[in-house]
Amino acid sequence: MSDLSELPRKEASVLKGHEGAVLAARFNGDGNYCLSCGKDRTIRLWNPHRGIHIKTYKSHGREVRDVHVTSDNSKLVSCGGDRQVFYWDVATGRVIRKFRGHDSEVNAVKFNEYASVVVSAGYDQSLRAWDCRSHSTEPIQIIDTFSDSVMSVCLTKTEIIAGSVDGTVRTFDIRIGREISDNLGQPVNCISMSNDGNCILASCLDSTLRLLDRSAGELLQEYKGHTCKSYKLDCCLTNTDAHVAGGSEDGYIYFWDLVDASVVSRFRAHSSVVTSVSYHPTDNCMISASVDGTIRVWKT
Amino acid sequence: MDIDEDDFVFFGTPIEREEELTSRKKKPSRKPPVTSVRDEEGRRRFHGAFTGGFSAGYYNTAGSKEGWAPQSFTSSRKNRAEFKQQSILNFLDEDEKEELEGRSLGTSSQFDTFGFTAAEIARKKAENEQQQRPSAIPGPAPDEIVLPATESIGVKLLLKMGWRHGHSIKDSRANSLYKARREARKAFLAFSSDDAKSQLEAEPGEENLKSSLDQPINDDVPSSQSTPVYILNPKEDTHGLGYDPYKHAPEFRGRAAPGFGIGALEEYDAEDEDVYASAYDFEDTHVQEDEEPLKSNTENRPKLLWKEKGVLPGFKAASDSDYQLERKLWEEQQKHNGQKKIALDGKSSSSVQKMTAESRGKILGEMPLERSSRDLSSSVASGDVNLPFNLSDTFTKPTSFSELLEVAKPFNDDPAKQERFEQFLREKYQGGIRSTVSGGASNMSEAARAYERLDFEAAADAIEKGKFSKENKLFSQQLMEFSAGRGMQFTSGGLQQGKDTQDEDLATKKIYPIREEFQWRPSSILCKRFDLVDPYMGKPPPSPRMRSKMDSLIVTSDLKAMKMEEAFSADRNQPLVQSSAQEVSKDVVDSEIEVKVHVENVERPVDLYKAIFSDDSDDEVEASSNFNAKEDPEKQIEVAHSTLNRLMAGDFLESLGKELGLEVPPDPPYSTNIARSSVPQKESAIANTGNVNILPVEENSFSTPDGCSVSQKEGLPHDEKTAKRGESKKHEQPGSYEDKSDKLYSSKIGQEDREAKSPPSCHRKRGSSSSSEDERSRKRSRGHRYRSSDLYSDSSSDHLDRYHSRSKGRKKRYSREKRSSKKHSKHHKHGSRDSSSRSYYEVVLSNLLVSMTSVEAEVIEPLEDAFGGGSY
Repeated sequence: MSDLSELPRKEASVLKGHEGAVLAARFNGDGNYCLSCGKDRTIRLWNPHRGIHIKTYKSHGREVRDVHVTSDNSKLVSCGGDRQVFYWDVATGRVIRKFRGHDSEVNAVKFNEYASVVVSAGYDQSLRAWDCRSHSTEPIQIIDTFSDSVMSVCLTKTEIIAGSVDGTVRTFDIRIGREISDNLGQPVNCISMSNDGNCILASCLDSTLRLLDRSAGELLQEYKGHTCKSYKLDCCLTNTDAHVAGGSEDGYIYFWDLVDASVVSRFRAHSSVVTSVSYHPTDNCMISASVDGTIRVWKT
Repeated sequence: MDIDEDDFVFFGTPIEREEELTSRKKKPSRKPPVTSVRDEEGRRRFHGAFTGGFSAGYYNTAGSKEGWAPQSFTSSRKNRAEFKQQSILNFLDEDEKEELEGRSLGTSSQFDTFGFTAAEIARKKAENEQQQRPSAIPGPAPDEIVLPATESIGVKLLLKMGWRHGHSIKDSRANSLYKARREARKAFLAFSSDDAKSQLEAEPGEENLKSSLDQPINDDVPSSQSTPVYILNPKEDTHGLGYDPYKHAPEFRGRAAPGFGIGALEEYDAEDEDVYASAYDFEDTHVQEDEEPLKSNTENRPKLLWKEKGVLPGFKAASDSDYQLERKLWEEQQKHNGQKKIALDGKSSSSVQKMTAESRGKILGEMPLERSSRDLSSSVASGDVNLPFNLSDTFTKPTSFSELLEVAKPFNDDPAKQERFEQFLREKYQGGIRSTVSGGASNMSEAARAYERLDFEAAADAIEKGKFSKENKLFSQQLMEFSAGRGMQFTSGGLQQGKDTQDEDLATKKIYPIREEFQWRPSSILCKRFDLVDPYMGKPPPSPRMRSKMDSLIVTSDLKAMKMEEAFSADRNQPLVQSSAQEVSKDVVDSEIEVKVHVENVERPVDLYKAIFSDDSDDEVEASSNFNAKEDPEKQIEVAHSTLNRLMAGDFLESLGKELGLEVPPDPPYSTNIARSSVPQKESAIANTGNVNILPVEENSFSTPDGCSVSQKEGLPHDEKTAKRGESKKHEQPGSYEDKSDKLYSSKIGQEDREAKSPPSCHRKRGSSSSSEDERSRKRSRGHRYRSSDLYSDSSSDHLDRYHSRSKGRKKRYSREKRSSKKHSKHHKHGSRDSSSRSYYEVVLSNLLVSMTSVEAEVIEPLEDAFGGGSY
């Protein structure tokens, strides 16, 4: 397969600095920088292509579980075990606002397209939307139809999509005021949208990634082979939507073919659980984060 | 003279005559100008003592133009004079300083083999720096601390030749290096065992992960004292040298992160445990594996030597046979573990089976002890069990225990137990005479025997089921698990689960994913922020709380609702409703609605509530939707309701009081409430327009939602009972609210709870009011109730809630703040009737409705008459 050579499988650099597990690593909008967060309560900004650590953001009281950056790279939002959502200024490294309200740990957080709303997903079975424009620190909406911890959230221009341990992926369409619930029957760890926006890739705790068609709610494909039983592991699609990438609890990274679900590549990336993978928006480049405390940059 | 002079030839310069010139004038001119030393400005320097020496300084004077001035010293309290340390350098010119510097002789850096010059320069620099900034250590910096910034050429050469810092300059292939390596490894091992595990990321031998960067660190460990090891990690803290703050608290190492963590009062619970910690253990095992063989090479040899030399008293030197035996045991164990691993699919680590003396003996081929000597399969034929077995042949049972045993021996590793189990099986399936020792070995305690019996029972069950299932493997796995963990009770449910996993798998594939659609209301501000049009155009949803509240009321008082309907069906035929409607329509528009309500009530009581209160809440919420607060509208509604109730109660009691001939105190207007001011007039108007007309209306409205009037119809003895029942029900409510809301608002809700709350099968349907929907919304309402519990702290106010069927118009009009209800409850407690007529009504009402003591029951009898006139 000619595709195979395009998969980022060579280690380009290792980003070291986190003390303890790195829980998430994310590219920014244009893929020039990346952000990571971890057990050491810090968020770190890196240039993964040059392997440089740029800045550290410290303020969280417990582990930081997720981080997201606006498309203009000016603001950060992060969440974690201290039940708070922090809204940061990237340049100064100061916290602009703290959104309190979740009754327990916050698992995931995302900006909307205009960076005007932050949506957070919590262990308290709720999604909360926070307003970045006003000075209010009250949530502008609480969605509590989930019956278990909400693990992951994705936003489109018009929808809020979230996956929960109750086995559902719920899509909240703001335009028509509907909630569409797709029950997968297995706890959902992480969801990620395909780049064309038609599919959702859901990582389930039965060591299976499931690809859902969003419009019909059909199960398109299942991807197996990796281990995902007790950790929150990220998954993503490559920027061409040709392959599915995911970490495994044994330190491997897997690549599946999107269509026939065969494992096209697997390699040992970390010495321990690969918690997060993030694919470059345009290039053949990927970053992975692990419990071993490192972030590794993979290129072709 | 002149002629003479022309004739002569002169050689040399003629000596001038001394008397013509003063010696002073001559001297400078006589000296060649080249020899004088001048500064940059051309001023002459170096005035020798003999040449005067007076042209130094200002025009060859000391001091300045103004003459020499001594340094002035001024110091005030505010402006302290600084102590200036004078040094010789202050009094030297630049060239002099240069000269002074140049006096010290040293190798230029180019030839600085041993780095002395560099060190010297560094020291001087440090000295200079120290003068500029104060340091903790007074005085000049000690030479030992100051080190050359650059490496000497010698060191550089050595490094190029392969020498490393911290190593002695010796033949590297000599055993000293070997020793050094060993030392290093030892140190490293020690380090790895007690230091933070996180530092052990890259280990030698860790496949492809070993990064070349980490390599030198290993070798940098000091092995000899010939050269000092320069500080690898710069000291950045303010602790003393060599002080380790984590010495006695290694668990905090690497944790130092800023921000606020877990407070002293916040406890680490299960969720705070480091779920990733196990990953490090995983690494640890790697370390040991890798280090082991290396160590054995170097260190085992001397040990062996020592062993051969002398043997400790009481021990004998190991022989091959010993080793073989050990090996055998080990192999057996491995085999066993291997099997288990296959069976348990990786769970074996948790259930390590212990070898008993018997099993070990069996493996080693020892002469077994008498008790365990019987072969397990042939144990049938032996001794005391013979008789029951033979007897049992007459009883035919399809399952023979030997067959069972062929399937699996759950207690294989404990022969004694297995034997007991077999006996147990025999007894179970063949019947017959029970042997006296059936329960277990005689040396077992009673409790242990009971326990074992339970085990056997479960195992037998499992075997029987397992036999019929084709999946022997799963079955044996279950058995293994069972036998491994004694505390774990074996349940047949577990087995079935195991059996069904595959089927389930298939089933789930077919079933999932399930798609469901619900209505969902995005908040208007969310739509705004997403730049979308609000699909509900800003209209807030009908408050689920109100509906659910009514539902719960209906549920709790279903009996009452039935009776209520009865009462109304009785009323329906009468023209009373219409006439009363006419009557009241004179008064206000509100009361019209009130009557309409009653008419509706006749047909569908449930929908009635919804119709009224969903409308109401809509209006209410709309009014207050501007300020986007979630709870406020509901609170307002609640307040309004309580007000309404109380007003209705007031009306009711007023008329009641009149009927009973009780004295009703006049109704003083509330100073706090402006809207209230018009009320008493109206009420008095109602009272004045005629008791006869209005009373039936009032009666209708009040007989409906309350259990009290219902019970009246059934006579007294019954009366008390139902009332009490009603009361107890009502009392239950607040409690249950609290329970539920506790659940709802506690952050940690157990999985079971969640499942119980919303079983996967019954997903709510938003459109219709299915049970799950109701339950859910009720839950929510309970949460709200809980929050505003100050309003409903008293049970009597709950009673008042039942008067919701009153008009919404009134409610709006008489919206009162929540204080009133609090007041009410207080009055109820103390039973005082001093402050206002409202409180008086409430007291009477609550007495009537809540306690229903015998005294009140007496009061009710005439009341019943009054009501009875209308309906019967």
